[in-house]
Amino acid sequence: MSRLVAELPAPTGTEPVRAGRRRRSRQERLAYTILLPALGTVFVIVTIPFVIAVWQSITLDDGTFVGFRNYARALGNPLFFDALRATGLYALIVLPTEILLGLGFALLVHRAVKRAGLRATLYVLAVVPLVVPPVAVGVVARLIYAPGYGVLNYVLQSVGITHSEIQWLGVPILAMGSVASVDIWQWTPFVYLVLFAGLQTVPKESVEAAQVDGATWWTQFRYIELYYLRPLFLLILFFRVADVLRVFDHVYILTGGGPGTATQLLSLYIYRIEFRFFDGGQAAALAVMVLVSISILYSLVTRALPLERA
Amino acid sequence: MQRISRREFVKRTAVTSAAFTSIPALLAACGESTGANKVSKLVVAAVQGNEDGPLKKVVGNYKSQTGIEVQVVEFPYADLFTKLVTTFTANDSSYDLCMMDDPWMPKFGTMGALQPLDSNFGFTRDSDIPTVVYDVGTWPPPHGPVPPTEQGKAQHLYGITIVGNVEMFMYRSDKSSAPADWNEVLANAKKYNAANFYGYVIRGKATNPVSSDSLPILWSFGGNIFDDTWKVQLDSSDSITAVDFLTRKLKQYAEPGAESYDAAERSQAMATGKAYQSTVWPGEITGIVEDPSVSQVKGKVAYIPIPQGPSGKGLGMMGNWLLGIPKGSKNGSAAADFIKWMLKTENMRNYVAQGGIPIRNSILNDASLASANPYFKALAASFAAVPNWRPRTDQWGAVETSYGTAMNAAVAGQLTPQAAMQKAASEIRTVMKAANYPS
Amino acid sequence: MRSRGAAVWARIILIVAGLGVAGFLYAFPLYWLVATSLKSKAELYQSITLFPQHPTLNSYASVLFDRGFWVLLKNSVLVCAATVLVTLAVGLVITYPITRLSVPPQLRVGVLNWALSLRFLPPVAVVVPYFAIVRTLQIYNQPIALIGIYSLFNLPFAIWMLKGFLAEIPIELEEAALVDGANRWTSFRRVLLPLATPGLLAAATIVFTFAWSEFLFALILTATPQSQTFPVGVQGLVTQFEIIWNDMAASGVIAMSVPLVLMVIARKYMVAGLTFGVIREK
Repeated sequence: MSRLVAELPAPTGTEPVRAGRRRRSRQERLAYTILLPALGTVFVIVTIPFVIAVWQSITLDDGTFVGFRNYARALGNPLFFDALRATGLYALIVLPTEILLGLGFALLVHRAVKRAGLRATLYVLAVVPLVVPPVAVGVVARLIYAPGYGVLNYVLQSVGITHSEIQWLGVPILAMGSVASVDIWQWTPFVYLVLFAGLQTVPKESVEAAQVDGATWWTQFRYIELYYLRPLFLLILFFRVADVLRVFDHVYILTGGGPGTATQLLSLYIYRIEFRFFDGGQAAALAVMVLVSISILYSLVTRALPLERA
Repeated sequence: MQRISRREFVKRTAVTSAAFTSIPALLAACGESTGANKVSKLVVAAVQGNEDGPLKKVVGNYKSQTGIEVQVVEFPYADLFTKLVTTFTANDSSYDLCMMDDPWMPKFGTMGALQPLDSNFGFTRDSDIPTVVYDVGTWPPPHGPVPPTEQGKAQHLYGITIVGNVEMFMYRSDKSSAPADWNEVLANAKKYNAANFYGYVIRGKATNPVSSDSLPILWSFGGNIFDDTWKVQLDSSDSITAVDFLTRKLKQYAEPGAESYDAAERSQAMATGKAYQSTVWPGEITGIVEDPSVSQVKGKVAYIPIPQGPSGKGLGMMGNWLLGIPKGSKNGSAAADFIKWMLKTENMRNYVAQGGIPIRNSILNDASLASANPYFKALAASFAAVPNWRPRTDQWGAVETSYGTAMNAAVAGQLTPQAAMQKAASEIRTVMKAANYPS
Repeated sequence: MRSRGAAVWARIILIVAGLGVAGFLYAFPLYWLVATSLKSKAELYQSITLFPQHPTLNSYASVLFDRGFWVLLKNSVLVCAATVLVTLAVGLVITYPITRLSVPPQLRVGVLNWALSLRFLPPVAVVVPYFAIVRTLQIYNQPIALIGIYSLFNLPFAIWMLKGFLAEIPIELEEAALVDGANRWTSFRRVLLPLATPGLLAAATIVFTFAWSEFLFALILTATPQSQTFPVGVQGLVTQFEIIWNDMAASGVIAMSVPLVLMVIARKYMVAGLTFGVIREK
């Protein structure tokens, strides 16, 4: 029976103890000789872009030093706050929906589907949306929502629910909904897979004992399963929030950030500043701010999560 | 088992890692072409859509005549601009020719990204080609305001038009005669508006589409984005009147969802008999409205230059697509030869036969081509009236985005014309100030 | 007794409805994608039909040959394969010491933490400086520019996943080999690698899939079909200007099928893949 493990690196950890001090230090030196060149190169390769981004953010295109001017322009740009707002709205729509739906399905399947074969099939089916490349999902979404040839309008009109074409990509709030729906479609299975596996780790005895005691499914969930799932919830939230901040591909294909700036999420906004307006300094300032924020967020979250330590 | 020393082990590890990391480099090297003395291939970066359709069709002729293959690499409109600037910034040699929308000329001219056609390759002005075509491809611009950093630069020709796009007007001639001015346009829109038949089609999608669609109206009403000294004019009363006319008055008779309509939807509405009138680009005419395989209204649509506005003038807008040679190209003279080939009269006739839009007056006024190309007369008239062009600033990208986003909001009814233009005006003023334009 | 029966029925209805609706919502878009790809161009001009009238593979031929996307397919495969090689090689070089040799815990934790943090990096923030690097090294429009950045982004995942697999191979096996007179390299090659192969294959599959789906860097750093990857081609077809939705759908189907096949193979490691091994089956 496989066990679900969630772990993050942390200072405390068990160490395989080596016999003999001389052997240990020789191993250590060997480790370092292998590790340092590779790791060092990678570390340098990773740090260089950050250094370059900082450099670009404090200079003009021709190299003159301008201090924090680019940062001031970035923060003073009203479109920046539009982008933050749009990203926040997106997260607000997407995160609760994915978590609740994923949880619902995980509970449903866990309680109702007992046959292993069916569970395995559902597992594979759940994997499918996760591996579809975001551009392909964007194409699928266009075929559904686009004006003129989108099939959703066709279905709605055939069934008689609506009589005129709804501009799923043209009305700002609908466009946000369309883009969010794609995210929900693609990532709810992720939540489902993680929580479903988590539900497998709940000890059967506790559940059976509770059922003997006459617990309803809600009590059972609240007092037993939730306990085991809580760390997973936090982890899912962590990953999904980070992903929402990174989202680009399917939004770019579906709406390009439009209508207007309704779906111009943070990454699309930075893309536009760098590759449509070609304002390198402002884009670099934004990039640096995003990188620093993510680093802070990451260290705060990993400190706070109560998980097994590697 | 053989014992190797630690040194040997480390050496082997390093070698293996290096070998692994060099595989990609080898792969990349295999992909590069070996330098050839004779040019056998030219690469054109082109815009995807009906503008490059005829180009793709005639490059086969070039190959059979000269043996040089011309590879057309396509990108959607906005992506092409990004791709060109990115490639120019990298000074890359991937493209030998590039298609440019004329509003991009200022950016490329300011960047110094193109090879001058006149001094490098001996291009001279042909009298059969309208002067304005040469003007639009010249940098710094021969008339109109010049960006402050470009004043005093020597003028050179950097691009030649291969798609003679000038925005015109189309209407169902089987229902009425030509509108003389925009008030008549509005009256006709009201008169013919019916269920499933739009009195006027607005191309209202954000940024480039709605900007292109609305500027002729803005100008015909006496409004403008900038005046001759680069001062923003969008919030003047003339400009706001023009925006009000389009987004309030004409909107009443326009299609639902106008704020998402792009050119394809607009021409399709016309082609399937669902619309009465709209502005139009020649490319849509050849590609959709007059294409018998698509259109139900062939022969029922007439084309005229942009109607007059209260200013007394009907100002058409240039949207020429030019062909230029990037500085990074290693095949400059071969590329120039291709452009010269495209301009030859007999090749241009062939190009027209493939749906291309010509720039030679002799072809536009050729009576034998008039029935197959009903818009030629209007296009010739539009050229002769010297159409306006979009402001010659390298900040046009940001300007068009602000203006186009505000216009889109006005079309969608989210902002009043006044609020929209004031928002756009203030954003554009900020951009121009940061770019050191006089304000 | 009666309420018991009703409750059971209610449960069954709920289950069937829930799974049914979910199934439909997931199956229909994918069905629609495939169906659209099988429609002929003429059919697209008529009103929408739920089933293709005369199913044809023309759009696939059009996409692959007329539009030349098979070149893009080839590029994608090459870039992804090279990325896998680089990522796994460098990943092994980094993971082996920290799992098989005794290193101070701070170093191991530091490496793992740093690797995990890269998972949360927005690519668009990296593209800004990376383009400057590409420009300077003059590797614009070269596959190596993509291979480099893809390897960088996938390396953290590879480190985590390999760490998980290597940590599960008992250290005693290697020790036995060492005691028998083998050196580190031989014990690595003959003892560890064969046992780690399933893990390596799983990691390779997932890295390939991630690299395959990547879009932003490919969009920015390539200029001609000689180096463009398949996702860039797909995006190029999503144009409102022409009625080419069958080609668009066909390109989407092709883009989807490669990761789909790979993932069915490596499905056990999917969750681990998406969370960088933070959550995995043990």
